[in-house]
Amino acid sequence: MNFSRIPTTLALVLLLLLPAAMLRADALDGTLEVQSAFINVNGDVYQLHARIRYPLNDEMRAALQEGISLSFSLEAVIERDRRFWFDAEIVKLTLRRELMFHALSDRYVVRDERTGEQSSHPTLEDALERVGAVDAWPVLVGSQLRGDGDYRVRVRAGVRRGRLPDALRALLFWTADWQRESEWYEWSLPR
Amino acid sequence: MVLAALKRHRTAALIALWSVVVLGALFALSLTSRNSAQFSRLQPWILLFSLMGVLVFAVLLARKILQLIRDYRAHVPGSRLTARTVFVFGLLVIMPLLTVYLFSLEFLNRSVDSWFRVEVRQGLNDALVLSRSALDLRLREHAVRTEEFAQRLSGMSEIESIIALDDERRASGAVELVLYGDRDRIIAASARGTLVTLPAGASAELVRQVSDGRTFVALEPVAEDQYLMRTAAPVPASRDARFVLAVYEVPRQLAALADAVQRSYSQYGDLAALREPLKYSFRLTLTLVLLVTMLAAIYGAIFSAQRLFRPVQDLMEGTRAVAKGDLGMRLPLSSRDEMGFLVQSFNDMTKRLRRAREETERSRQDAERERKRLEIILTRLSSGVIAFDAGLNLRIANDSASRILGLDLGEFAGQPLSDAAERSDRMRLFLAAIRGQFALGRNEWREQLDLQSDAGAQVLMCACVPLPDINDSDAAADPHGRSGHIVVFDEITALLQAQREAAWGEVARRLAHEIKNPLTPIQLSAERMRRRFLGSMSPEDADVLERSTHTIVQQVETMKRMVNAFSEYARSPAMQLVTFDLNALVSEVADLYRAQDPAIEIRTRLDPALAEIQADRGRVRQILNNLLTNAIEALDQVDSASIEVTTSVASEQPDSALITVTDNGAGFQRELLGRIFDPYVTTKPRGTGLGLAIVRKIVEEHGGRIEADNQAEGGARVRVTLPLVERTRPGSRELRSETRKEWA
Repeated sequence: MNFSRIPTTLALVLLLLLPAAMLRADALDGTLEVQSAFINVNGDVYQLHARIRYPLNDEMRAALQEGISLSFSLEAVIERDRRFWFDAEIVKLTLRRELMFHALSDRYVVRDERTGEQSSHPTLEDALERVGAVDAWPVLVGSQLRGDGDYRVRVRAGVRRGRLPDALRALLFWTADWQRESEWYEWSLPR
Repeated sequence: MVLAALKRHRTAALIALWSVVVLGALFALSLTSRNSAQFSRLQPWILLFSLMGVLVFAVLLARKILQLIRDYRAHVPGSRLTARTVFVFGLLVIMPLLTVYLFSLEFLNRSVDSWFRVEVRQGLNDALVLSRSALDLRLREHAVRTEEFAQRLSGMSEIESIIALDDERRASGAVELVLYGDRDRIIAASARGTLVTLPAGASAELVRQVSDGRTFVALEPVAEDQYLMRTAAPVPASRDARFVLAVYEVPRQLAALADAVQRSYSQYGDLAALREPLKYSFRLTLTLVLLVTMLAAIYGAIFSAQRLFRPVQDLMEGTRAVAKGDLGMRLPLSSRDEMGFLVQSFNDMTKRLRRAREETERSRQDAERERKRLEIILTRLSSGVIAFDAGLNLRIANDSASRILGLDLGEFAGQPLSDAAERSDRMRLFLAAIRGQFALGRNEWREQLDLQSDAGAQVLMCACVPLPDINDSDAAADPHGRSGHIVVFDEITALLQAQREAAWGEVARRLAHEIKNPLTPIQLSAERMRRRFLGSMSPEDADVLERSTHTIVQQVETMKRMVNAFSEYARSPAMQLVTFDLNALVSEVADLYRAQDPAIEIRTRLDPALAEIQADRGRVRQILNNLLTNAIEALDQVDSASIEVTTSVASEQPDSALITVTDNGAGFQRELLGRIFDPYVTTKPRGTGLGLAIVRKIVEEHGGRIEADNQAEGGARVRVTLPLVERTRPGSRELRSETRKEWA
């Protein structure tokens, strides 16, 4: 047996095991995707509409009922194509919503972090449907577009443990399981 | 090529990689310190970098340990000391580390558990239940009131219902009262203040519950510290499935308290969910710290031990090298401590040893040069030199000794001289003479030794001295010869012969000069006397005169012959060199003698391979004549007498011819062998004693050699060696001219 190869083999095995250890099951397992998204122009305002499917499972339900909250985000990026250089970023916005279980009323509360509006829902499904429905989110005004270049819109949904200060979030350094992001959903901006 | 370079500097590459990884992790951490929001994004990278750092460190350590194990098994100098030190040091570090680790782990687990004690959760749950009870009580009150109101609405018309709604809203303090009809149609509504917007819609859940004839109650958080209670009850006996929805506002104080309880519950939930990650995080951190510390400690132990024992390894290797004879090794001086002093001392020692060895080597080379010089001198020396120890074992003998004694003494180096004596007659006589001197108790002597053997006579002038004692520092000669002796000897046979020849030459010259001259007047006087007085005398007197003068004349003739023979011996005319067939000459002479004396068998055995010889034919004939005459005279009165004459190429000198004449007579007298070629040495009653002397003279004039001895089976043997070509005998002419001069 060649002893000199042991360290190399060991290192390879550990490196292969590392991602596997990071992929264990947790409350955010499930489908997370932007099902549909489009932009319509209302006057001079470009409004984003999107439907997002968030993971839903018993672990999430149990965790919410234990008192934790979830923070949902929808990133929207509008870029202008440039032929000979990197694309120019015109807009980058994030819509944040919070979901928590209101133990006192036995309802799920969805709160918009920007406006502070909140709604309560008797079931988690209703609440997630509300979270995943984005209607008429103003993302752009016509004056931000110049020339007749091509523009692309990208949206990506994300979810993570909410209401945790960053210092405490650092404690999740080793677990890294309370955070998910969808693939980018991308299309050309209609003019 | 890059791979080969990496392989060569594997450790350096790993350390460089480790540094890059650690720097990467530190850089990522610094990014997160500036913006903690980056942390979640960078945390996988930080984790990866950290783990890679640990891994690279582990690989480095594993390599060190494997190297140590290999060295240990291969018994590499210093590896055992290193292994023992690493083991002890590792044990000393690991044991306390493990103890602290386990203690810390337990302490952390307990601490974290205590933060999330069950009592806290229970208290929060209780507070929640209490708040909910308080709200439920109020909800139930509102529900009962709504149900009663719905009862009252039963059978009312729409106008009546509107009035009743308004009255009830005021009476109950509701925020809003709405009467729904079929398909959630709003029949009537009453709201506090101005109703600027439509009343709140009925949710599907509400409609479903009311349709089932049950009362709906719900508490809805609408904003911070703001709750609404919704109660709905079906209007009994209504045709269009009417129901009434009442919305009440929870009093602000109660709402604030309830909200506070809810927030606490929620925050606790958030934090409690961190319990396991927190413990896991601490455990992992502790474990990583432990691992890194242990790895660093062991790595440090190996590194320190190797560094510490490197001089010891060097010293061991140096000692081995010195043991193998390599004194050129110089150990690197790594430090100035005690080890450094040791290394310095070792280097000084090897330096001195090297110098001493160089000195010894120089002396040995000098001695070797001296020995070779001495050997050359001994080889070139015409005198024979023999050195032997006290036991008469041969140490050294030069070529001249071998030549003089007729035996290759080189073969007997280290052997007793008696071994050599068994192989040679001369050597036996020589050894006997030496022993004879030692038997007389003489350790240092100088004598002339006459060695008479069948091979001929030999006269040696010997000088013997004892060898110096080689163990004695002053190297003085040992008078007792315990270290052995050295004998230097010269063969003076030829010298003595020459002296004798010179003496005889002088005699011959004087005889020829002093005796021959008076003989003629004597003879003439006697003849004149005879002629003068013979006629005038009486017959008696005449007869006397006649006999006397005849005797005188006859004796004078005899004396003349004798003087002529001497003259012939002394005379040395110029040689007439011609090339002729020696075999033909031998046959011719043999035939002549066969005819002269048929009673003696004369055999010839001639080598046809013998080339023609360049010599003075007449003189060579004289050699053969004299030798055959001598042999025939020696065979007088010998039965079945025979003579054999052989010719051949001399085996020792291929450019010479060898003529051997043997007979089956009595042979030479042993005591005369050494002088048989001297004039007037003869065993025959009638011989002049000049025959063999003349033969030897002619042979020497031709640059040849003559030897006489007795055969083992009896009879004499004379061997004449003559060069085939004149040029092969340098100096012969000079010798002859000198001889002529001498005899002139």
